This record gives sequence, structure tokens and C-alpha cells, in this order.
Amino acid sequence: MVDIDALKQQFLNKDFDSKTFVLDANKMVTVAQASGESRPEFTDPDHPSFQAVPAFICSLASGRHLPIDFPALGGLPMDGGKAVTRHAPVRAGTPLTGHTHLADIYDKKGRSGRMILIVARMELFDDKQNHLATTDSRMVIREKSST
Amino acid sequence: MSIQTLADVEFGEQLPTFTPDTSLNTVRKFAHAVGWQGGRFEDHERARKEGFPGALVPGIMGMGFLTSTVHQWCADAHVEQIDTVFRAPMIADEPCFIEAVVTDIDEERSLVELDMTLKNNLDETRVFGTARVRLPKAG
Repeated sequence: MVDIDALKQQFLNKDFDSKTFVLDANKMVTVAQASGESRPEFTDPDHPSFQAVPAFICSLASGRHLPIDFPALGGLPMDGGKAVTRHAPVRAGTPLTGHTHLADIYDKKGRSGRMILIVARMELFDDKQNHLATTDSRMVIREKSST
Repeated sequence: MSIQTLADVEFGEQLPTFTPDTSLNTVRKFAHAVGWQGGRFEDHERARKEGFPGALVPGIMGMGFLTSTVHQWCADAHVEQIDTVFRAPMIADEPCFIEAVVTDIDEERSLVELDMTLKNNLDETRVFGTARVRLPKAG
């Protein structure tokens, strides 16, 4: 059985990935409109407050969700959910950087065995180091049976 | 009923039900825009070959639907935080609807908390979540 406390001690709160982005206004509009959004701050690139909807911010967190040396726990991780906290507008055309670390590791026991949940947190900054948003990606891994 | 300010909100109030566009064409556009090209989001047959019941609606598109529900309820709402749990796959071209209810009101900080659920037409929950929303203060 995986030792959750040992995993926490080894992996929590250590940046393991860093990515840079420049957001495309047209793609931001497409995502907003496909989501049913009609507010011009999300659908009109000429609006003075034009910015990304939370779902678009969340999409930036796709990619590597685990440190390269994280142990294999069982099956493929499933996408258990996502969260976004917005601190400031995320705008098109400016350089952004996302730093990712593991924010939590915990387990849940069910009838079919133990599930391990891992939260990968990406903190998004602009080129002036303003913290714009935080995204959490929850991965669910069914632990491999030891029998 | 849509609202203007925090003063219009009542604890336990239900937001107007929102029926998003889950057509395959719209799902495909969303997936391309976020860089998630692939058969599972674009084509029912290709998705079935991957073992899914049909082309999938990306989970984060569900988050987009929930956010739009909030904005349709209050045109000046600011979604500070939204947390979604992907409980089961959403399938493109299958109708779904979103329900939401006000579970907390913080008058001092002008915030409300919402519980939100996205269900299919069989009343099965596909995505659920919570949102913390800042609303304009009255006056």
C-alpha cells in the first residue's frame, strides 16, 4: 500500500514544471462563445477588459501533471475535476508563466478499493510577476491491488 | 430571475436553468481552441473506437457552461473561484441542463456561494461544483 505521508513529504509544494504562454484572442473568444458566454469582456477582443474565461485559464494547465520521478501507483490517472481561482484578469498577447507543484495528495476508500487523489496546482503570473490565477487539477488513480 | 445586486439575492434561491449548446460542432470548436484535438472530442465513431459511448464534451467545457450560467443570472457577477468535479462523461449532441442554488451569502464581502449541477436529460449528474461569486453591492 502506498504511503501517502511519504509521498507528501517527498513531493508537495515543490515546483516541477514551468511553462510560458501568450494567449490568442481568437481562441479565447471561441472558448467563451462555445461555453455560452455573451459578455463582451470575454467575447470582444476590443473591449477594454477583454480577458479569458475560467475554462480557458484551466486549459493552460493541461500537460504534465506529475513530477518525472513520481512513482507509478496503478492505472492511468483520471481527470477528477478542476478549479480556478482568479486574482486578476488573464489577458491576450502578453507573456504569462505557469509554475506547477503538487498541492495535496490524499486517499479515499471505496467498495472497489483505495483511490489516490493528487492535486496539481498551477500558479499563473504575468511578466511583471503579478499572480493572475491559480488552477487545481485533481487526478484520481485507482491503487493497484497488492494481492 | 436575473439579478442586479447582492440585495436581490435570497438564500436558497435557484438560478434560472441554463441549457448549453453541446452539439458536436460546438464541442469541436472548443476542443480545437484549447488545443485538445483528437477523435474523442471530434467524432462519435472515433470516440467509440477509443471505448467511449460517443464524442466527449471536455470537462472544462462543463466549467465554461457553469460560468456562463452565473453570468446570465447576474450580468455584473465576477466568478472569483469555481471548482468542478467531473463525475461522469458528458457526450456531445446529448442535451444537458444546469441547475444552481445559492448556499451562502456574505453581505460584508458581497459574495455568494453557489452549488451547481450539470445533468443530462435522464437527470444523471455529469458535472457538479461550487462557485464563489462577487456581486455588486446595492446602491
